[in-house]
Amino acid sequence: MSFVTLNPGDFVVSADSITSTLWSDNTTTLVNYFTSSTAITNNAYLPVYNVNPASNTSALPQFTISYGQINGSGSAPLNAAIPGKSPTRITYGQFRTLITGDENTNLNFGAGNTNSPDFYVINISRANYKEKLFLSTFNLALSGSDGINPSLIKLTNNSADVTSLTYCDAGRVFDIVSGSNGSSTTSIPANSSAAGYTVSGSYGKFLPDVGLIILNARALALSASFGGIGLSPNTGNTSNALGSTNTGLYNSLKNASSFGFSLNSEETITSDYVFVRIQNSDFNYTTNPSMISGSGEFYYPSLINNPQTYITTVGLYNDNNELLAVAKLSKPLVKDFTKEALVRVKLDF
Amino acid sequence: MGFLNNTSVTVDAILTKKGRELLAKNDGSFRITQFSLSDDEIDYTLYNPNHPSGSAYYGEAIEAMPILEAFPDETQIMKYKLLTLPRGTAKLPVLDVGYAQITLRQGASLAITPQTLNYLGATTTFEPSGYTATIGDSRVLATFNGVGVNTTEAQALNSSTTIGTNVSKTVVGTTINLTATTVNTLFGTRSSLSTILIITGRDSGARITIPVTITKVTS
Repeated sequence: MSFVTLNPGDFVVSADSITSTLWSDNTTTLVNYFTSSTAITNNAYLPVYNVNPASNTSALPQFTISYGQINGSGSAPLNAAIPGKSPTRITYGQFRTLITGDENTNLNFGAGNTNSPDFYVINISRANYKEKLFLSTFNLALSGSDGINPSLIKLTNNSADVTSLTYCDAGRVFDIVSGSNGSSTTSIPANSSAAGYTVSGSYGKFLPDVGLIILNARALALSASFGGIGLSPNTGNTSNALGSTNTGLYNSLKNASSFGFSLNSEETITSDYVFVRIQNSDFNYTTNPSMISGSGEFYYPSLINNPQTYITTVGLYNDNNELLAVAKLSKPLVKDFTKEALVRVKLDF
Repeated sequence: MGFLNNTSVTVDAILTKKGRELLAKNDGSFRITQFSLSDDEIDYTLYNPNHPSGSAYYGEAIEAMPILEAFPDETQIMKYKLLTLPRGTAKLPVLDVGYAQITLRQGASLAITPQTLNYLGATTTFEPSGYTATIGDSRVLATFNGVGVNTTEAQALNSSTTIGTNVSKTVVGTTINLTATTVNTLFGTRSSLSTILIITGRDSGARITIPVTITKVTS
């Protein structure tokens, strides 16, 4: 016999959370931002790269920037005869539906902006964040001018401050606040009543399960003393206006590039452990042609009564003897009638 | 007084091409139920029963062998299975199919009835559980099935089909029927197609690999 049936107790399924760096170059903090000269239809969004796509053809977008406005201002209508139905309106409706699940409920960034008419969206590339964003690693620096205080703001989510999770239609949701590593700062901007928040509410929403960062445009538009960076969207009804708005946030990222954008990904890897139990009386003979002649006789007579084999490979089969998975040992494992072995085979999905 | 080593060896497995195919089929056929072991890569001529340091060192050269990573091609791995046989077995089972190689013209058929030599004291026997036959490239055969084993699993296996590129196909039976393809486009500019047929005894684990050549019939 060359097959051994596995028992139910030989299988263990384990799910482990694996965190890793999010950006393509495996760095924890993105400090270089580039855009492509390739035009996006209607300037609906702006892909941001970690290397220059003009000189590196394998460059991949790390995230995109887009802007949504409830009335469609800030971009050209898709059809001049139908005002208001523009890319900014589409973006607003798209993310409002995704986040609130209700076309009649606008985004609520808290006291000062409970019915927000607009927002920026940073949409992390799915291949980068794998399954979800890792909460307390989120640190994003923005600056309205040249990265020098006080126009510089450092944002994080409030995942370390909250005592209970809040869910929306897009999974877990956290406020984006001024602070670092998941904790709000203790300083309170002018006219604000809470540390880390502005008079126009939080800086945005952090949605780790869908890889989205929604930034409160009203908070960013505030002046430095109120906790903002003076970033205002272009309200013109032209395609270039939306390009200008997206580029405005991009420039705010670049201005603060010395602090960068740090974020990690999180992924649940489900592993199937199969315990292969090798009894002393099993697998002591081999069909290896270097041990036996064409007629099946041993080359070494001493192996007749004391056969010895070397396990190198474990094959996992279905009932039809079809080889489904295979594992190799790092070195040959000697086996004879006096030895037993336990091999734990890990199969990741 | 020391502690006994109770640790297990942990190895990472990869899915084979067949495993991925069956996973994609999502028909329940991807279900691990049994295992087997092999000593692929091991060259037993390195075994040295005359080692001056004694019997503990007979396998020294083999144990020092660095092992390659696993191959995903199920026809190229688990080639030399380890067997469970009674102690004192003097001759190991080998398969005899009557052919060292198979050459078929397009559309021609062949029935193979394997036998096992030296198995459980019998000089020649037909294994009760039959034989597993795997063709490396299922496209080269118009029909490929096994007869003589009537279990549900064997019948399901014999009737399964995967369309597309060169995937292997496995059937079970005491007799394996092959009919060469009649599709000309597979040949392209070549006059023949080649693949391998692997036959394994389901009881003994003995295995034989036979080259298969399909020759084009010029019309």
